[in-house]
Amino acid sequence: PPPRRPEAALPTIYAITPTYSRPVQKAELTRLANTFRQVARLHWILVEDAAARSELVSRFVAGAGLPCTHLHVPTPRRYKRPGLPRATEQRNAGLAWLRQRHQHLPPPQPGVLFFADDDNTYSLELFQEMRTTRKVSVWPVGLVGGRRYERPVVENGKVVGWYTGWRADRPFAIDMAGFAVSLQVILSHPKAVFKRRGSQPGMQESDFLKQITTVEELEPKANNCTKVLVWHTRTEKVNLANEPKYHLDTVSIEV
Amino acid sequence: NEELWVQSVLEMPKRRDILAIVLIVLPWTLLITVWHQSTIAPLLAVHKDDGGDSRRDLAAGLDSKEYCLSDRDIVEVVRTEYVYTRPPPWSDTLPTIHVITPTYSRPVQKAELTRLANTLLHVPNLHWILVEDSQRRTPLITRLLRDTGLNYTHLNVETPRNYKLRGDMRDPRIPRGTMQRNLALRWLRETFNKNNSQPGIVYFADDDNTYSLELFEEMRSTRKVSVWPVAFVGGLRYESPKVNAAGKVYGWKTVFDPHRPFAIDMAGFAVNLRLILQRSQAYFKLRGVKGGYQESSLLRELVTLNDLEPKAANCTKILVWHTRTEKPVLVNEGKKGFTDPNVEI
Repeated sequence: PPPRRPEAALPTIYAITPTYSRPVQKAELTRLANTFRQVARLHWILVEDAAARSELVSRFVAGAGLPCTHLHVPTPRRYKRPGLPRATEQRNAGLAWLRQRHQHLPPPQPGVLFFADDDNTYSLELFQEMRTTRKVSVWPVGLVGGRRYERPVVENGKVVGWYTGWRADRPFAIDMAGFAVSLQVILSHPKAVFKRRGSQPGMQESDFLKQITTVEELEPKANNCTKVLVWHTRTEKVNLANEPKYHLDTVSIEV
Repeated sequence: NEELWVQSVLEMPKRRDILAIVLIVLPWTLLITVWHQSTIAPLLAVHKDDGGDSRRDLAAGLDSKEYCLSDRDIVEVVRTEYVYTRPPPWSDTLPTIHVITPTYSRPVQKAELTRLANTLLHVPNLHWILVEDSQRRTPLITRLLRDTGLNYTHLNVETPRNYKLRGDMRDPRIPRGTMQRNLALRWLRETFNKNNSQPGIVYFADDDNTYSLELFEEMRSTRKVSVWPVAFVGGLRYESPKVNAAGKVYGWKTVFDPHRPFAIDMAGFAVNLRLILQRSQAYFKLRGVKGGYQESSLLRELVTLNDLEPKAANCTKILVWHTRTEKPVLVNEGKKGFTDPNVEI
């Protein structure tokens, strides 16, 4: 096992997780928390797609067992069509919170942030890899792009291309789960956000990374991008066919 | 008149004094209230948390005041004494929880086992019995188990294939996972002596479900067989045992066949190891089991309804969810496979 540095010296990892209400929400957050709680100095930024904080998530956060910031911002209805990018407002809310929180604190504040969707699967090794991010780091993602995995192509320690199943011509042909950004870069690019206007589907990551880095600057992780440490898993929609419309239960049990 | 004038002269200073006191005390009261509510972070731009936010149009790139930041953000401070030993040190007093997980090879297998392991790593005195549905123990699972640091036993048994249908298909008459669970039961009976007083609990945990940490602590006190609700089974938000005022299970709150002897999902019960060792012939029935009767085929050999111990606040809390993972779209692999098969996923 790698030597353990004193915890005060560890850069904080900020995980920005957009979440929305549906039957499996609490289950997803539970198993995600079980992973995050294994990681030292991880600060979870949970952003609900909602007009107000829900009781379920508020209760969950209170007992989550790790440092957690609970935000919320609703997606405008006109952006809720299939094919349009999702969670844009929520990720931007996470960025805004980080920027505002740190504007009064003296630099440098070592930290790394990444975007953790609530249904993906993260190995503990991934966090070790991303913690040493100086500017922007990248790694492979499993089960995405219609393939077993996608990954940046690395030569001599530099990213030279993209091994991807979809639109490899994008400037950054990478999934949301495939990169992390140092806090310093986020703070020094205060206008870098996920965009709606002029953004084509599938270009969210690319349009964002374009604002803060170049391909040459990218730091390949996970053994020069040859190991899969994160998987783009998706959870099946729950079958509630037997739920009664009438004669509901006498108690109200949270699921 | 004079008295009235004296009275009003006496009252006026009092009112002025009161006003002065209020003006001095009020700012301090406000300050203390705000300081009490706020976090370590400096006072943020406060936005009233009302429904008006939903009507506001959030254009991209706006400054941070447009987002619902409030000074009541929940920020919990890291307890600096938190120790990240994975798994927790073994305790001499806690019963061991033997978690039996059948698993089979498919693209999401490593992901499922990874996140399950991340959960299990929190649980003290946990022994993971992972049983592969395979001819041989695979390198992927061998490596994964070793790298977790968990206390584990790695077994395998292959469900026979039905060569009459297609070369690939498993025998559909044997429900998935049955032979693997039975092998684990047999291993427990061969490894532990029923006269040995090593306390243990046996739990069947499929690799795609979601488990809260609280669940493991609930099951640890099982004397014979304990039960609790399970979410997302039987076409319902959850199924649950019915518990009467005396704390006894008397039925099953399900829509699908509530008259099964034990209308409960695999994830909804745990068995004391002693009972497993005593009833050494009790196994899951391999063939001829109707859908939904698997669990009954084992439990009927172990307990009666009356012996069941309801957990999770008399079966009113959900501590386990029967989540299922989507089959990933691998259309771009094509017939021959596109990605490097040596890169393990």
